[in-house]
Amino acid sequence: MKLAPAEIQALQDLTIVVFAPLVSGGIAHIEGRLQGRRGPRILQPYYDLVKFFAKETLVPEDASWVFLAGPVLAFSCYLIVPLLIPVLTNYPLPLGYIGDILAGGFILALAGFAVALAAVETGSPYAQLGSSRAMTFGALIEPSILFVTFTVALITTTDLPYFEAAAVRSSMSQIVRPAHILAVIAFFLVVLNDTGRIPVESHTSTIEFGMIDEARTLEHSGPAFALLRWGSAMKQLILYVILINVFIAPWGLAGSRSLGAVLIAIPIFITKAFGVGFLFAIIDNSFSKLRLFKITEYMAVAFLLAVLALLVLFLGGG
Amino acid sequence: MSWVLIVILIVPLLTSLVCWWAPALIGQYLTLISGVATFALALALIPTKTVSAFSGWLQVDALSIVFLVTVAFLYGATSVFAIGYVRSSGNKASEGNYNRRLFAGINLFAWSMALATIVNGLALLWVAIEITTVVSALLVAIEGTDGASEAAWKYVLIASIGLGIALFGTIIMYYAGSTVFGSGYELFYSKLLSGASHFPPQVMRLAFVLAVLGYGTKMGLAPLHTWLPDAHSEAPTPVSALLSGALLAVSFYAILRFYQVTERAVGPTFPRDILLAFGLASLGLAALFLSSQEDLKRMFAYSSVEHMGILAIGMSFSAKIAIIGVLLHVLAHAPAKATAFFGAGSAVRKFGSKDMTKMRGGISLLPWSGTMLVLAVLALCAMPPFGIFRSEFLIVSGGLSNSRDFIAGVLIVAVSIASLGLTWFTSQTMITAPSADSVRGEISGWIVASMLIGLAALVVLGIHPPGQLSDLLGRAANELGVGR
Amino acid sequence: MLASTHVPSVFTGSADAVALVVLLSEFAMLRAPLLRSQIRLYSFQSFAVTGLAVIVAATRNLNELFIIAGFSFVLKVVLVPGIIMRLLRDSRVDLVGSHRLGVASMVLLAIVISVFGIFVVGSLPIHSQSLPTPALGLAMAIILVSFLLVILRSDVVSQAVGFFSLENGVSVASLVVAAGLPLIVEVAFLFDLLVAVVVFGVLMRVHHNRTKTLSTSVLDRLRG
Repeated sequence: MKLAPAEIQALQDLTIVVFAPLVSGGIAHIEGRLQGRRGPRILQPYYDLVKFFAKETLVPEDASWVFLAGPVLAFSCYLIVPLLIPVLTNYPLPLGYIGDILAGGFILALAGFAVALAAVETGSPYAQLGSSRAMTFGALIEPSILFVTFTVALITTTDLPYFEAAAVRSSMSQIVRPAHILAVIAFFLVVLNDTGRIPVESHTSTIEFGMIDEARTLEHSGPAFALLRWGSAMKQLILYVILINVFIAPWGLAGSRSLGAVLIAIPIFITKAFGVGFLFAIIDNSFSKLRLFKITEYMAVAFLLAVLALLVLFLGGG
Repeated sequence: MSWVLIVILIVPLLTSLVCWWAPALIGQYLTLISGVATFALALALIPTKTVSAFSGWLQVDALSIVFLVTVAFLYGATSVFAIGYVRSSGNKASEGNYNRRLFAGINLFAWSMALATIVNGLALLWVAIEITTVVSALLVAIEGTDGASEAAWKYVLIASIGLGIALFGTIIMYYAGSTVFGSGYELFYSKLLSGASHFPPQVMRLAFVLAVLGYGTKMGLAPLHTWLPDAHSEAPTPVSALLSGALLAVSFYAILRFYQVTERAVGPTFPRDILLAFGLASLGLAALFLSSQEDLKRMFAYSSVEHMGILAIGMSFSAKIAIIGVLLHVLAHAPAKATAFFGAGSAVRKFGSKDMTKMRGGISLLPWSGTMLVLAVLALCAMPPFGIFRSEFLIVSGGLSNSRDFIAGVLIVAVSIASLGLTWFTSQTMITAPSADSVRGEISGWIVASMLIGLAALVVLGIHPPGQLSDLLGRAANELGVGR
Repeated sequence: MLASTHVPSVFTGSADAVALVVLLSEFAMLRAPLLRSQIRLYSFQSFAVTGLAVIVAATRNLNELFIIAGFSFVLKVVLVPGIIMRLLRDSRVDLVGSHRLGVASMVLLAIVISVFGIFVVGSLPIHSQSLPTPALGLAMAIILVSFLLVILRSDVVSQAVGFFSLENGVSVASLVVAAGLPLIVEVAFLFDLLVAVVVFGVLMRVHHNRTKTLSTSVLDRLRG
């Protein structure tokens, strides 16, 4: 049975929407185990979402409609990005051509902007602190993302994620080429930053002073908060998709449009995501959080790697 | 004659070892003998053409003999001065130890510099110059004062980094050669010169710039000279004399070796322009700093920067007469600066300070060494009848004959400004009335003798250089590419 | 679907990657807060350089280079770091070096300067037979960043490590363009390095004995 491209596209979105909480829950569980706890249930994020959807939404007195529109806008952004990237297939789907890696990055940035705006609406100092920090560090990590994109563009002469993945699959020499290795490490650092993990941010802490991303949602409640939580899980999974299916391990994707191939690609991808999540959990447990003003050093390292990736390409040795 | 090279390399080394173990007195006289013998052997090489030993790894031609003679002369003169220097030091407690180290170090230092002029090939040249750095850095630190350890650290760090760049330049040069000779060849000078015209010019330019930056640091070309005044002023005076007269010259020799090859590969314009830029910077900077010094030895250190600038500028005039002037300048600067430092050493011992504001009446208190110090300063200012007058005259006339009038004019003006500073401070300290409580009398006869030797050499070079020496300078200038 | 213009071979790619590791450890030295970790990084960097030498020796059948690699392993990976480490242990002060700039600005400055070096060398018509030519640009970058290390850190250990790692950069360069250097010359280079290390050690000790610190900020008496 062959699936229509549109159906596969919808399935990609659905995979992200459905399995994002599962991956988050899985990582939290692994983390707990690594720390000698039993950890939360793997399905806990789903229960949380159900609970939040059932609660009422409280809106701060001074907040306008932006407060509620922000989470919705962010959530819809996270629904668009999976259309652009190779979640399940190794061949480009029709809508995959409407935007490149940069477009994906911009849409993710728009989501971040929407969340920050909603947080600022509340007038709460912690939420504002969180959004200003998130915006600042987002701006600082931006050069690294750009240089990674340039590197991809130079390697493949296009910056569509599908082509980079195809290049990586094509031969061993594409994997060991220094430009690729450096770009991967740089992008890995970017993902660590964007998913709010140590060493940039400790995502489980309840100490407001160290919070960046988490602080933004402090004032939200009910379905809006559920959307934010769900969205952040989706963002994490989207970044994993790019990291895994574009840079690190673009194997195990569906090569044809048959239903079986596409369906089998889903568990393979989730397994890979758990693998990366495991790595992240280990990093989480082995490093300490950087002091806020030291985060720029982290950004500088990511930038250095990305620039070097581009440089060796220019030299002809990448 | 190849035994001469081997003896020159063995004698100072052995002397150094003996100095380390033997009693002070024996060490002093052995150094004296070794220094004089080395100078005599070097003189014996002057009439020869090319001498080589150890299947070509050691080789001297006219160019290297000029520098070998310079080093050997300073070695001899310094060995005389050093005896007077240590005997006049009031500090008896640690004298034995200090004495051993100083003399062993001086011999080793002279040996390493002679080695640099004798080895064949850019790679071994680098190795020898690196040895001069480490030996001289230890010698700079030998006084054990705060200033000495600070100067030694700055010196060893800056000079080593400079030499790191020079090594990079050497490797690039090796690559340029390997495009012609294939890999696995020795960097012998004659081999490099034979293929130089086919070397890739762009690569040679990089190699030359790196070499000038690297060895120029060691030579004290501005703005890479920053270690030089510190090291010269804080080192023991015999070491200062060796540093200034011989070590800087040897570094210049390394640059000339690169110049030879580069000039054949890319034509004379590029290397000359590079040297001109560094030369003008050094000369200008030294002329300015010379007029604001209070430390006697520091003042002479800046005078060294000035003279290194003159050498670089002289090389940038393409005329043969200017190149001969440059080589003569190397020969003449050594005794002039050594005599000045010897006199400074005498004055520092007499007044107990390097501070020129505390020195008054030098000539009255030190009738011999004070007077000769003034004469040495006049020689440094290029006054006749001393050798520097002749060499600078040749350089300037070379510049004029090649219609580089403007640069020659700048050279004359800057040298005059520098001379003004030098003579002003010297006359302030030497030709004034002494303070009432001071005692008249020389510090040491050895010091006077060493200064007499230096002045005698200057007068010989200035009035009538021996025919064989002029012949040698002519041949060396031809090797630098003017006779082709 | 693959549209890349020029894909390096596996050998080229991995050799460049090792050269990059050398450069990255130079950057790490620049920011390393502890002097001890700086010395370990130097040891690691030397190890990478040795590895590069072994790669060249094996792929280009230069047996002499194996000897050099052996020497340089003993000297630069074991001996030199050992000597400095011992000095550090004896001094018992100043575990933390001093920066003259913030880490991020230092790294940015170093990036700018390495870009400069890489492009300068890249514009030259140099074609290596032993290693991919881009490694020469990286070697230039290593040398330039080691300058920064000497300039921007103000303690004797960092400055000495800066000089030694400069030598590592030159070693990489020599592997790229001068792998066939005669053995006697290479051994002379290494011997020289050993002597230099000893002298650096002696002077560091002198400095420490006089000032009771490893910082060079007290070295400001001589000027003018």
